[in-house]
Amino acid sequence: MNLTLKIWRQPSPQSKGSMETYPIAGVTEHMSFLEMLDVLNEQLIKSGQVPVEFDYDCREGICGTCGLVINGVAHGPKKLTATCQLHMREFKDGDTITIEPWRADAFPVIKDLVVDRSAFDRIVSKGGYISINTGNARDANELPIGKEDADQSFDAATCIGCGACVASCPNASASLFTSAKISQYTYLPQGNPERERRVLKMVQQMDEEGFGNCSNHGECEAACPKGISIKNIAIMRREYVKAALKSGTLLV
Amino acid sequence: MSEIKIGDAIQGHIPDGEIAKKWDNYKANIGVVNPANKRKYTVLVIGTGLAGASAASSLAELGYNVKAFCIQDSPRRAHSIAAQGGINAAKNYQNDGDSTWRLFYDTVKGGDYRSREANVHRLAQVSVNIIDQCVAQGVPFARDYGGLLANRSFGGALVSRTFYARGQTGQQLLLGAYGAMMRQAELGKVSIFTHREMLDVIVVDGHAKGVTIRNLKTGEIESYAGDAVLLCSGGYGNVYFLSTNAMNSNATAAWRCHKKGAYFANPCFTQIHPTCIPVSGEYQSKLTLMSESLRNDGRVWVPKTKETAEKLRKGEIRPRDIAEADRDYYLERRYPTFGNLVPRDVASRNAKYVCDEGRGVNESGLAVFLDFADAINRLGRDAVEDRYGNLFEMYERITGENPYETPMQIFPAVHYTMGGLWVDYDLQTTIPGLFALGEANFSDHGANRLGASALMQGLADGYFVVPYTLGDYLAKQKPVNASDTSHPAFKTSVDEIKAQMEKLMAVNGDKTVLEFHRELGLKMWDYVGMSRTAEGLQKALAEIPKLREEFWNNVRIPGEGDGWNKNLEMAMRVADFLELGELMALDAFNRNESCGGHFREEYQTPEGEAQRNDDEYSYVAAWEYSGNPSEPVLHKEALQFDNVKLTQRSYK
Amino acid sequence: MQQAEKQSKPPGALASVLSLFNTSVGRKITTGLTGLGLVAFVVIHLAGNLTLFVGSESFNAYAHKLESLGPLLYVAEIGLIAVFVFHIIFTIAVTAQNKGARASAYAVKGDAGKPSRKSLSSQTMIYTGLVLGAFVVWHVWMFKFGPGLADGYAEVHHGEAYRDLYRLVAESFQNTWITAAYVFVMILLGTHIRHGFWSAFQSLGAYHPRYTPLIYSAGIALAVLLAVGFLALPLYFYFAVPVMPA
Ligand SMILES: Cc1cc2nc3c(=O)[nH]c(=O)nc-3n(C[C@H](O)[C@H](O)[C@H](O)COP(=O)(O)OP(=O)(O)OC[C@H]3O[C@@H](n4cnc5c(N)ncnc54)[C@H](O)[C@@H]3O)c2cc1C
Ligand code: HEM
Ligand code: HEM
Ligand code: SF4
Ligand code: F3S
Ligand code: FES
Repeated sequence: MNLTLKIWRQPSPQSKGSMETYPIAGVTEHMSFLEMLDVLNEQLIKSGQVPVEFDYDCREGICGTCGLVINGVAHGPKKLTATCQLHMREFKDGDTITIEPWRADAFPVIKDLVVDRSAFDRIVSKGGYISINTGNARDANELPIGKEDADQSFDAATCIGCGACVASCPNASASLFTSAKISQYTYLPQGNPERERRVLKMVQQMDEEGFGNCSNHGECEAACPKGISIKNIAIMRREYVKAALKSGTLLV
Repeated sequence: MSEIKIGDAIQGHIPDGEIAKKWDNYKANIGVVNPANKRKYTVLVIGTGLAGASAASSLAELGYNVKAFCIQDSPRRAHSIAAQGGINAAKNYQNDGDSTWRLFYDTVKGGDYRSREANVHRLAQVSVNIIDQCVAQGVPFARDYGGLLANRSFGGALVSRTFYARGQTGQQLLLGAYGAMMRQAELGKVSIFTHREMLDVIVVDGHAKGVTIRNLKTGEIESYAGDAVLLCSGGYGNVYFLSTNAMNSNATAAWRCHKKGAYFANPCFTQIHPTCIPVSGEYQSKLTLMSESLRNDGRVWVPKTKETAEKLRKGEIRPRDIAEADRDYYLERRYPTFGNLVPRDVASRNAKYVCDEGRGVNESGLAVFLDFADAINRLGRDAVEDRYGNLFEMYERITGENPYETPMQIFPAVHYTMGGLWVDYDLQTTIPGLFALGEANFSDHGANRLGASALMQGLADGYFVVPYTLGDYLAKQKPVNASDTSHPAFKTSVDEIKAQMEKLMAVNGDKTVLEFHRELGLKMWDYVGMSRTAEGLQKALAEIPKLREEFWNNVRIPGEGDGWNKNLEMAMRVADFLELGELMALDAFNRNESCGGHFREEYQTPEGEAQRNDDEYSYVAAWEYSGNPSEPVLHKEALQFDNVKLTQRSYK
Repeated sequence: MQQAEKQSKPPGALASVLSLFNTSVGRKITTGLTGLGLVAFVVIHLAGNLTLFVGSESFNAYAHKLESLGPLLYVAEIGLIAVFVFHIIFTIAVTAQNKGARASAYAVKGDAGKPSRKSLSSQTMIYTGLVLGAFVVWHVWMFKFGPGLADGYAEVHHGEAYRDLYRLVAESFQNTWITAAYVFVMILLGTHIRHGFWSAFQSLGAYHPRYTPLIYSAGIALAVLLAVGFLALPLYFYFAVPVMPA
């Protein structure tokens, strides 16, 4: 099929970007979206132009590196699918496809479609873990965990840190990402000792990074390739109030 | 082709004593750094996969300063994230007779007797601690309703010792290790450097004392000094261009160390995974693995005749139109006992053979069917969905075909590389102070890795082995000043790398990096793939250097050297693959036997099984760089089997 | 062997409670609480106002009853003002944070589809809210501080003179512009509540796989009921009730 691509080009973090138009021919429906861009880039290189930069690694929907806003939708039109697993059979001959980077001030553009998501790492560093030094663990089966709690925890733990929640959120909020991490540990007994500290500090960091607040648009859940539920955002808020009141000694 | 140069034999520095006591004896006798002094040492960790992240966090917890580097924009994205199936541990929670000994035995046997007994035993010993550690970190392993951990049997093992987290075990383990590392980052003990690619190791007075790094964001070349370097940079499967590895997986870090004096061991030992989604066209950029568990219920077949296969390929008939009598369930036919569950290498090779015969399916003729129709009839659609639902979904997402209705198509793909930097028992390479962990080293899997044991090895190395062995090394070293990179070796290295980059940028030829990589991959797949011959390997040895030469004269790298430039990044990696590929071919050519993942057609039993030659090839081939990639020097480390009896595999 | 835990302390007691007002999550608690408070007020207000349909006597009696609560009414009114003020301050603060988080907008805006709850209503909260705010000021000035007994708006019951609010309302809605403005604002009110109602529960951390969809639907129903209920009044007076001469 033949397509018209409108792609955000931005040579460097400082420069101003713009949308550029590229026609592309010979796309087949079996190609993945990123392979389609590979083909475009080969053509650009051959004709002496600078290829479009976009980021990727696993190309199987698990590492969270890829991420493009396609026709205004983060990760494109297919549900529960990261950009790298999106295939061209979702498009029709003659389509015009607009491709933009994740847009959020907390995710500055590095080049073209590549953004810097280190803000997520900094949020995690504030408590997205259970503090246990290597070698200190007791036998794994000494602490039974009900299957249901384990499953709920897992559902939250499947987040791949891609940032589509931020990209799709009208407020560029990182609430879904942050809350998924918090609620993963809320369901586990191991997470209990650091419960309050975790939510207070992670939320604080999330704010410092310059993400927006959550107005409960729920767009994030719809765009999330792992279908992380906004239930987690509610859990985060619950945990937050409890923690704020508790460490404020109003409770207990 | 000239004769292979043979150098001195080398030794693995294996501690004395009975196999089960070696590790404890070792730990009791090593040097230890005084707690107050640990903070004076800086350890440079290259890579933040399971091996790197677990090492970085454990060392920081001990008090060392750690600098961790990775290519991706976040340490959490290392390739380990993609592992699906599970992680082995000799917990014997299922009371089915597992033990450290059995895991040790299975791993040595699975490796077709080309691994070091002592290392493997240590791996089996610490495997249990890994599970404890991970559960304490909150890794959500599968559990049963009683709240205890669940296990499954994996990759043909006779016991259920595999712990798993849905189909995302690697992800969950890595997030655990990443979390532990981020905790140390918050405490100021680990500094994290993302979007960084290591391009050289700095050797001062014979010891690794720093690295040269390219900042992929800004294009700057940076120097970092430290007291030791841990190479945790993963495997080199991408030398085949198409593999199940992540696109940024590379050999560069290991290869540059090799060029500075680290021996490269058993480069030809690669693993091909039988159940991957086939190539769909020339544009294909990577292959997707589907869990091996599919073979528990799926039946593998191709049409009996070439003619039927051709009609199928042209779309004249559909798979369901082919009568039972016209199908060849070749694995069940050839291996009546194991049937569809033969080991990875056997399944892969047989798929290749039927496709070579022209009976392959898919438009390309490079695929076989994995059919669930029987399973659906027998168990019902719901049961099949319960077991494989998410895999079926993934398959449909990628291929657009519904495996409930039409058989899946699968084909083997390069998956794991057993070879890697040679390390001794301490995981130290032949450059003192340079350690290699995880898939980057060669240590534990011999000629073939068993399913679910790479995750185990990466975490064993990082959490439980290197904290001791590195301590022993550092106890004998005076700490360096980590902010001082004034030693001339740093500048020389930076200059060399800049020169290399400039040279590449200046070529401005006609072919893209991708084209070269694809071409190399095809050669590697054809000649150094699942099934190798002396003749094919000689072709590879002749053609790869030519391709390398062409690369340096005709590659076109767009854009600038400063700032983000994916093509330049890739070009540097492909340059190294073009050298490594030749070494792999040479290693395969040198090893006149078949073992594990290395199958030489000349050496097979009458039944078509790999025929080892224990008298002549029971050694680790450790290659030394001589200055010319085509003329490495071979050092042999003899392998001794005092505890495991060598047997010939048979799956009939 | 292990280094001492030197992890930074969690925020202090006062700071954590204050954080309920100055962190993103804390602020949403306030918007949620005040939002629900306002919904409650509006529901009660509508219930009271529906007596307008019954006739001047019952409505004026109702208004009088309220009036005669005396100090209690002042407390309630101050409370109501506080709720309004907090709601406005926090929602504006939140919106400012949101608008500041994405400086360069997307060239193309799309929708990710189900189960998104993004809607016209969810994206216009600040606009519908600001109009509501302006409306309330005008509205209170018009009715509460509008002409009273002294101006002859009086009705006598059991020998006592009540303020004839009914007449004031009825007269006001003879004016086409006022009626139109009210109808318009009441539609906005419905829009605000359509997203606001369920959103407030979510903001307070009340999520339940079974009840949340019910709350979401209830929010839509409530929005329609409130909008229709309120907008029926001006329309009723405009079309159906002739103004009685004073
Ligand atoms: C699809 C798939 C499924 C698998 N499933 C299983 C399974 O079920 N069970 C199992 O046991 N094993 C499995 N494996 C194998 C296993 O995942 C890997 O062997 C293992 O994760 C490797 O871990 P690692 O830490 O050594 O390296 P990696 O996870 O590959 O990490 C490499 C790190 O090094 C960094 N790096 C690389 N080069 C450089 C450089 N030049 N400079 C700086 N940094 C660099 C990267 O950024 C990355 O952080 C699977 C592999 C694949 C491909
Ligand atoms: C007076 C002026 C008002 C303004 C400026 C205003 C503004 C807003 C804004 C901007 C929001 C969205 C907050 C966010 O994005 O997180 C909001 C939420 C809300 N508003 Fe209003 N509003 C006003 C009046 C009202 C009234 C009169 C009601 C009740 C009828 C009301 C009920 C709600 C509710 C229930 C919410 C949801 C709260 C939450 O999600 O936490 N608001 N308001
Ligand atoms: C058509 C619809 C409405 C009618 C007919 C109506 C009528 C009235 C009347 C008659 C009063 C005066 C009561 C008194 O002085 O005792 C009043 C007060 C008030 N109304 Fe409304 N109202 C309507 C809609 C609304 C709406 C939608 C809101 C809020 C968003 C609102 C908020 C108020 C407030 C805050 C007061 C002041 C209450 C007090 O201080 O006691 N009204 N309204
Ligand atoms: S919550 Fe979903 S969208 Fe957000 S980072 Fe995680 S996986 Fe991506
Ligand atoms: S889309 Fe944004 S507003 Fe909240 S529910 Fe999701 S973060
Ligand atoms: S590239 Fe890894 S998730 Fe898309």
